[in-house]
Amino acid sequence: MRYGDFTPYDLVLLLQGLGVSVALFVSTTLIGLVIGTLWAVIRFYRVPVLSQVVAFVAELLKNSPVLVQLFLVFFGLPAFLKINVTPTTAAVITLSGNSAAFIYVIAVSAIESVGRDQLEAARVFGLSRWQILRRVIAPQAAAFAIGPLTGLLVNQLQVTSLISVIGVMDLTKVGNILNLRTLKPFLVWTAVGVLYYLTAKLVAHAGARFEKRLRAHTAWKGL
Amino acid sequence: MIGITGLRKSFGAATVLNGIDLEIRQGEVVSVLGSSGSGKSTLIRCINGLEKIDAGRITVDGFDVSKPRDLAEARKRSGTVFQLFNLYPHMTAVQNIALAPVEVLKVPRKEAEAEARRLLQQVGLSERADAYPAQLSGGQRQRVGICRALAMKPSYLLLDEVTSALDPEMTAEVLSILANLAKGGTTMVFVTHEIEFARSISSRIAFLDKGQMIADLPTEEFFSDKGMALPRVAQFLSKMRKD
Repeated sequence: MRYGDFTPYDLVLLLQGLGVSVALFVSTTLIGLVIGTLWAVIRFYRVPVLSQVVAFVAELLKNSPVLVQLFLVFFGLPAFLKINVTPTTAAVITLSGNSAAFIYVIAVSAIESVGRDQLEAARVFGLSRWQILRRVIAPQAAAFAIGPLTGLLVNQLQVTSLISVIGVMDLTKVGNILNLRTLKPFLVWTAVGVLYYLTAKLVAHAGARFEKRLRAHTAWKGL
Repeated sequence: MIGITGLRKSFGAATVLNGIDLEIRQGEVVSVLGSSGSGKSTLIRCINGLEKIDAGRITVDGFDVSKPRDLAEARKRSGTVFQLFNLYPHMTAVQNIALAPVEVLKVPRKEAEAEARRLLQQVGLSERADAYPAQLSGGQRQRVGICRALAMKPSYLLLDEVTSALDPEMTAEVLSILANLAKGGTTMVFVTHEIEFARSISSRIAFLDKGQMIADLPTEEFFSDKGMALPRVAQFLSKMRKD
């Protein structure tokens, strides 16, 4: 057996890489969901100053490349603040921030998609702003947002591959290593691509199922 | 009592209500008539605080709706039924009705939902209790809308052209419910184009024209010589009756 041949262990390596990618994707998505939604709520309440700050930060995050943000966090922050930032920390911070910015945009438009008539109906019966947000707006906004959100998440899964450049052992990094060792780029990158594809399909499928549930009330069941 | 004095409301340059005085006492059914754009709906929206008033004063049982703290109390006393139903699409009929009692009046959910079912039964919708608004006809939706307002046990029912979006058959089913409520002594402010119906259930008729109340008469007087003596009213009634 030549040094450059594939071994069964390579499969384990690939799956490990996939595990790292998925773990990062899931954790940064959850953090992004919490932060992005919180930002949208701040905007909903029109909190002075904070709303403007949030809008500005989201603008910055949306309109600059993730790779540049990653370099800034991984190389820039340590140099500027004299602190140590591990590749994983940098990856989590950058991807969470990026997801939060886009989730904020989706959440804002989802909240605004709920008709004025809905707010008025809730207001005249004396519901507080928080009760209206929780009981009337949030469920309808979620049904509206789930489609765009699924699209975003499928994309964010692919974006995680950028973190391989700072040395996180994700699926792409593993592919890189295997490629250098075996010198069979077509095989390696096909395998890596298929793994991303299947995972993305899984995300899309989960999103579609969730959407169906959130939109159950629009289903026509006859008079 | 709902008391309105010197009410003014304009949207930009357009004055919609120009000095309205009106009093609605417990047990009265007051119909507000007038052509489209005369300010009828705006009047309702001022009473329930959906529009900020520019001048004058509106009180519901003494609570001034232009004061935020009073408004909450005023809103607990009046129930609004909307022209386009405004039901919450993600909730079933029962959930639509039980929401405000649970959230605002802190009624236990089970109790509120039982009450919702009882109300739905009253309006002949017991079988549709767990249907979503999208699965209901217009008339059924409006009946749910009425139940939603009644669930708050309001002292006053504010009805904003509640049959305008319905065909004659559905209109009839909604009106028969309102007639029952009127008989049962529910106080109502009834903004409508259903003149004959207004005549049959109202104790008083208020007539709005270009933001001014040009008549506020007991029903019989409004439809007799006294009302007809007002050219605008006579013109309005003759036009509406031709239809």
